[in-house]
Amino acid sequence: MAFAWKAAGLTYNRYLAVASRVVRRSLKEDKRIAAERRGEMDLRFAKWENGKQGENKSLASANEAAMAEAAAQQSS
Amino acid sequence: MLSRAARPALRAGVAAVARPATLNAINAATYATLREIEGRLKSIRNIEKITKTMKIVASTKLTRAQKAMTESRSYGQTSNTVFEKAETKPLEGEGKKTLIVVCSSDKGLCGGIHSGMSRKTRAMLLGKPDTDLVVVGEKCKSQLGRSNGKNLVLSFAGIGKDVPTFADASAIADQISLLPADYSSIQIVYNKFLNAQSYEPVVIEAFSEEAIAQSPNFAAFEIDDDVLSNLREYALANSLYWALAEGHACEQSARRNAMDNASKNAGDMINKFQILFNRTRQAVITGELVEIITGAAASEEG
Repeated sequence: MAFAWKAAGLTYNRYLAVASRVVRRSLKEDKRIAAERRGEMDLRFAKWENGKQGENKSLASANEAAMAEAAAQQSS
Repeated sequence: MLSRAARPALRAGVAAVARPATLNAINAATYATLREIEGRLKSIRNIEKITKTMKIVASTKLTRAQKAMTESRSYGQTSNTVFEKAETKPLEGEGKKTLIVVCSSDKGLCGGIHSGMSRKTRAMLLGKPDTDLVVVGEKCKSQLGRSNGKNLVLSFAGIGKDVPTFADASAIADQISLLPADYSSIQIVYNKFLNAQSYEPVVIEAFSEEAIAQSPNFAAFEIDDDVLSNLREYALANSLYWALAEGHACEQSARRNAMDNASKNAGDMINKFQILFNRTRQAVITGELVEIITGAAASEEG
């Protein structure tokens, strides 16, 4: 079984996040605001090498970049 | 912001308690000492107000956090049922790397729950020194970064402002699964909520694909190989969400207790200082009366 989202370089969790965002956005106005709060994510992360902390980056954009890279690798 | 500002003042309050003994020894009570005591009394009252407010804030957050915790438990436990039924065990053997994920938060002023978790992690690292670490939350990051900086591979910040969402957990899980090394087992350390007073750092396992495929009862489920990696990612996110939500509830509850104790201590100090203040005031009045009477008597004689 091949998955379209897997071919696009998404992980399962990312696929879930996108799908749930779509569902949340299609809700009625009052329910949507409460639901969208559950989908918010504002984390930062840093990579560590040899006991040194790297740069603090936004997790969301880093994840997107990684997925795009994975997609590029899959298609080539 | 508030917590930072409160700290030096709290320390000043502690220092103030040590002093009255010396104040009592010097019996010459003057206006100066009276003013000093009054000033300290005022600052302790302010601190009490702050800690009381923080306690109320933590209490209201706690009810929400507990609700989120019970909800998240079903996520984690349901996904764990699969592995229980399949009798999945972590793979043992040489060259298998383990990853420890520590779920703390960014904020302090909540007693020893973060340091308890760091201690547990250090104990686990003693047994397996080549284990990699992923730390969620600033508090454990600074503690573990000092002692085990070499093991750290990733750290996350920004958690703990609000009840953790599944989006948080799945984003972290994604970033973990993007790590270059291949881990045979992922252990998530979090604070288990026993009751409102006690927490215990415990470990839940998230298994690798290999471990799932090799579990004895794996045939009970009809799983295609393609789907297996999805299951693993999703199970990791589920476990992380559970750990984060339960850790968050523990933190709020611990903060409530810590602030409750702080307010109680402040109340004790206020009582002590109030008594000292009244005594000193009386001493000052008596001293002045004696001075006036002797002065009057002396001028009458002369």
